[in-house]
Amino acid sequence: MSKEFIDHRFHITRRHFLGKVSLGLGSVALGSLLIPDLLSKSERPMQTLGLPHFAPKAKRVIYLFQNGAPSQLESFDYKPMLNKMTGEELPASIRMGQRLTGMTANQAKFPLVGSHFKFNQYGKSGAWVSEIFPNIAKVTDDICFIKSMHTEAINHDPALTFMQTGAQQGNRPSMGAWMSYGLGSENKNLPAYCVLLSRGRGNGQGVYSKLWTNGFLDSVHQGVQFSSSEERVLYLKDPEGRDRADRRKMLDHLAELNDLNYKEFGDPEIQTRVQQYEMAYRMQTAVPELTDLTKEPDNIIKMYGADCLVPGTYAANCLLARKLSEAGVRFVQLYHQGWDQHGNMTGEMALQAQDVDRSTAALIMDLKQRGLLDETLVIWGGEFGRTNYCQGNFSAENYGRDHHPRAYTIWMAGGGVKPGTTYGETDEFGYNIIKDPVHVNDFHATILHLMGINHEQLTYKHLGRRYKLTDVGGKVVEGILA
Amino acid sequence: MQRVTRISVNLIFFIQVLLLFLLFFEDRIQLPAWLQVAGRMHPMVLHVPIGILILLFVFMMFRNTFQKKQFRKIMLVCLMLASLSASVTALFGFFLSIGGDYGADTLQQHKISGVALSVITFFILLWYQNVKKGEIVFYSSVVFSIVVLVLAGHTGSVLTHGENFVLAPVTQKEEVTLNVETSSLYQLAVMPVMEKKCFSCHNESKAKGKLIMTSIDKFKRGGENGKPWVDGNPDSSRMIKYIHLPLDHDDHMPPDGKPQLTAFEILLLEAWIKSGPDFEKKMSDFAADDTLKVLATSAINAIIKREEVKQYTFKAASEEVIKKMNTPFRTVFPIYQNSPALQADFFVKESFQLSSLEELKEVKDQLVVLNLSKMPVTDADLKIISQFKNLEKINLNFTAVKGDGLADLKSLTQLQSLSLSGTAITKEALNSVLSLPALNEVFIWNTPIKENEKLELEKSFPKIVFIHSLFNDPSKLALSKPILINEGILKKGELLQLKHTMPGVSIRYALDGSKPDSVSGLLYEKPIVVNETVRLKARACKEGWYCSDLLEITCYVEGYKPEQVTLLKPADKQYPGEGAATLTNGLKGFTDVLKEPSWLGFRENAFEAGFDFGSKPPSISKIVLSYADNLGGYIFPPTLVEVWAGANAKEVTLIKSLNVEQPTAYRPQSMEALAISLDTSGYSYYKLVARPISKLPLWHGGKGQKGWFFVDEVFFY
Repeated sequence: MSKEFIDHRFHITRRHFLGKVSLGLGSVALGSLLIPDLLSKSERPMQTLGLPHFAPKAKRVIYLFQNGAPSQLESFDYKPMLNKMTGEELPASIRMGQRLTGMTANQAKFPLVGSHFKFNQYGKSGAWVSEIFPNIAKVTDDICFIKSMHTEAINHDPALTFMQTGAQQGNRPSMGAWMSYGLGSENKNLPAYCVLLSRGRGNGQGVYSKLWTNGFLDSVHQGVQFSSSEERVLYLKDPEGRDRADRRKMLDHLAELNDLNYKEFGDPEIQTRVQQYEMAYRMQTAVPELTDLTKEPDNIIKMYGADCLVPGTYAANCLLARKLSEAGVRFVQLYHQGWDQHGNMTGEMALQAQDVDRSTAALIMDLKQRGLLDETLVIWGGEFGRTNYCQGNFSAENYGRDHHPRAYTIWMAGGGVKPGTTYGETDEFGYNIIKDPVHVNDFHATILHLMGINHEQLTYKHLGRRYKLTDVGGKVVEGILA
Repeated sequence: MQRVTRISVNLIFFIQVLLLFLLFFEDRIQLPAWLQVAGRMHPMVLHVPIGILILLFVFMMFRNTFQKKQFRKIMLVCLMLASLSASVTALFGFFLSIGGDYGADTLQQHKISGVALSVITFFILLWYQNVKKGEIVFYSSVVFSIVVLVLAGHTGSVLTHGENFVLAPVTQKEEVTLNVETSSLYQLAVMPVMEKKCFSCHNESKAKGKLIMTSIDKFKRGGENGKPWVDGNPDSSRMIKYIHLPLDHDDHMPPDGKPQLTAFEILLLEAWIKSGPDFEKKMSDFAADDTLKVLATSAINAIIKREEVKQYTFKAASEEVIKKMNTPFRTVFPIYQNSPALQADFFVKESFQLSSLEELKEVKDQLVVLNLSKMPVTDADLKIISQFKNLEKINLNFTAVKGDGLADLKSLTQLQSLSLSGTAITKEALNSVLSLPALNEVFIWNTPIKENEKLELEKSFPKIVFIHSLFNDPSKLALSKPILINEGILKKGELLQLKHTMPGVSIRYALDGSKPDSVSGLLYEKPIVVNETVRLKARACKEGWYCSDLLEITCYVEGYKPEQVTLLKPADKQYPGEGAATLTNGLKGFTDVLKEPSWLGFRENAFEAGFDFGSKPPSISKIVLSYADNLGGYIFPPTLVEVWAGANAKEVTLIKSLNVEQPTAYRPQSMEALAISLDTSGYSYYKLVARPISKLPLWHGGKGQKGWFFVDEVFFY
């Protein structure tokens, strides 16, 4: 009897069941009141913008981008084995069937070729540097070489875009724009993100404005490209017959009109526009002071090389980069073209090195003697490396190298990186990484870390998803932090 | 009674579903204030289930003294109350945990045990309500719930009172402070590595592989595979071998996904095993050049440095004050989020006012970094700065400071870094501030202080790093070329202007084709008058520098404008420019950008154009043909140029014909100007013919193919 009783108790009727379920649903409904974004999935409160998340090591970045991918084998990654084996075939055990570009994939042979230029060790750190960089060789004790960079793209445009924006497609904000978004501007009279271009004498590759885009971020974060002409910021002068007071009045009236429009449409781009007018107005005072080189001491000119007085040269851009950075510009981005040596390596590489060597070293020394190097991060490098085998007709005297994304060398100096060190290592053929690989995402995470930003917390919601510079990857490279 | 039971059971069910739901979406909950109040009542409410469960247990012990039916009723009431109060407590506790700042691990344990207790009591209630048998099951589950209760209570007390709260008065606490003199090298350098990377799995409570590394004795004893190292031989030691296995290997340590050892840490561990391994020796027991000691020293320094992230004790300035401090020319901001320490920067020299420095007094306790670089700050103004007593870094580069006021900075006991580059500071003046206790770097580049004085300073203040000039290159360099300001086409009467950015440079130039040097050629003193297209050659020279390379540039000058221009044969379809107008539109092109309005390109056809000057023709003595020379792009000079002239298009005669010298090898791209002097004048109509090269020469990559001719302007003088 008792069994039936129990059975009866456990057999739930439909009414009973629905009653219980509705009770449960009711409780869920009550609970959902506590979760305002249960269904809407709105923005999670993030770290406030405009300040570093934690104490930063570097306050500003100067990125000397070597556009076209300079050969690591002729610059900083010394591989004597290649000289010994010059002319011999690249061993299959090294290549491991990995993909090549269309430019050499159909080559019948892959003859190894060693550096035409001699290497020596320099400084207390004993860093190996090629003879075509005699001035950078003098400052190696301030430099941290990363010899184990690797990227995903194999051609210039995607690789370049990947290095600059963390994605290969070119619809994302670039690193400088993220910095401007996350850290704001130190000097309100100048843009937080400035871009300077120069051309070398080697085989060049394009530089496009998508590389300094704000992507989906507010357009104030876009990189401001400085002109390579005498007048470095175009249209900054007052028009003839108008003075500064006129300008002020005009801007005030314009702002009123814009404000009316903003009230009607609420488009944030209108306010951005107003802010940009205001900044341009203040730049009218700030920029002439910056671009005036006549007050630079003679030994500064000598240090950077006489070319620094010629607008549009790499040397002039290095000098301007120092001046911008000194004036609180968060991110100064240089692009120097001409590093794409598919052929004529010996001739072009030497010319390219000659163009950048002196002024790059000068920039480091200049920052150091002003007490700015420890708060400014200087980065030098390209978008990928170059192959250890020869592209085209083989000759040990004059050869070419194809694109090589699997290992390349960049270096950093100042702002929180370990000076006088080398991080990572490639095999003796300079083909594969054998120690401490650094992916482009890791590179970005590390730079953000040095600037006091947790790369996982600097996000922007766009098209229903929170984007980061490092996307879904990126680990801070602890080994290079001072 | 039955109705009360049903309501309570439903209520408990309701609360528990709510609780589970909330737990699931925990990280997205935003708690309103009134629920925070409920959360704060958790410490009070929690005593109810404790009391009732214990009471229930006590009743259970004395069940024989009750009548069976009575006992059952008492049990039911107690269970109901226990379950209800446990659920409410758990819910409130959950609310409390949302707002609070509790240790993650203990909180997790407390949460699990709390929720478990509420669920268990509920199930016991359901069971007891419906099943009349199985008393053993019932009793034992009650005992089990008491155990969970104790667990929940204990973890809860740890959360509020801290670990070992009850027994603290009777247990002795061992305070270990590490000290370079008294602690062993193992404790100072090696243990911190394992603490970070190994202890989380190899400790007393977890002991993966039965290896306990937290205690030296147990570490020495080893795990299930025995001692993890071979004395003095890192390469055959198991722990080192495991570290070096590939990351995806099952035995790799630390396992994939856990923080890995850095190369430096591996080196340190290897050196340590090689040394014995030794657990006792102190740093001073090792020789100075011992590998292990060297590694350990840098490891210790790194640890010390990491701990050095400074904690500021002063109060933060209010947000309004900071906001007020910010103007377009003065930025004041916390050095990072939630830090009370502030940095102040000044920008734009022209807008600097002393009052803006004085206003900073409002945040004088918070300022740690002050950047006055390039501002017209004088020695007298340093008095203001001396009140910012927490300053660590001052940048006075290129200010008007001479040094008399530096003594005022003596009050800045926190000052670490002082930049005085580009000021008129002297060694004597600098001396007055160098005894500051925290000062460790001083920048004195580009000051009157000489190299030997810097060495003396270094000797007297060994703790301070002095940065003087880093660049000492006695070699002579070449100057950069002078710059032609008005490039492009000059208007009639416009003067040629040259410049050089460096002060003190002299520019020498020539228009006659000769090459000027430091003594020959004309000295550029004022803008140059030019009437027709010329080839300018110029050089910059200065004492102490080599003269610049030669600037060679063709300066085009506006000439007579024809009334009408016609192309007698069309340009190539790819490069049509703006048709005939291209030739006189005043636009110059670039030699590598050809698809644009300034260029006309010819390959199949020869270039043939007519220029009509109307009824009152000017007297024309020279024609200049401007064309591109880009041999790599198959663009060559014309082979033959002819000038035909006459009264109109129909009556023209050949008045001039010339063969143009052809290149014999590749050369850099350039813009060329071919000047054709005419002997006769007075014609109204001119026809110009220029033939592209019909076969590229043998040395050229496109040998035998047709070449191109590109023209952008034609000038008449």
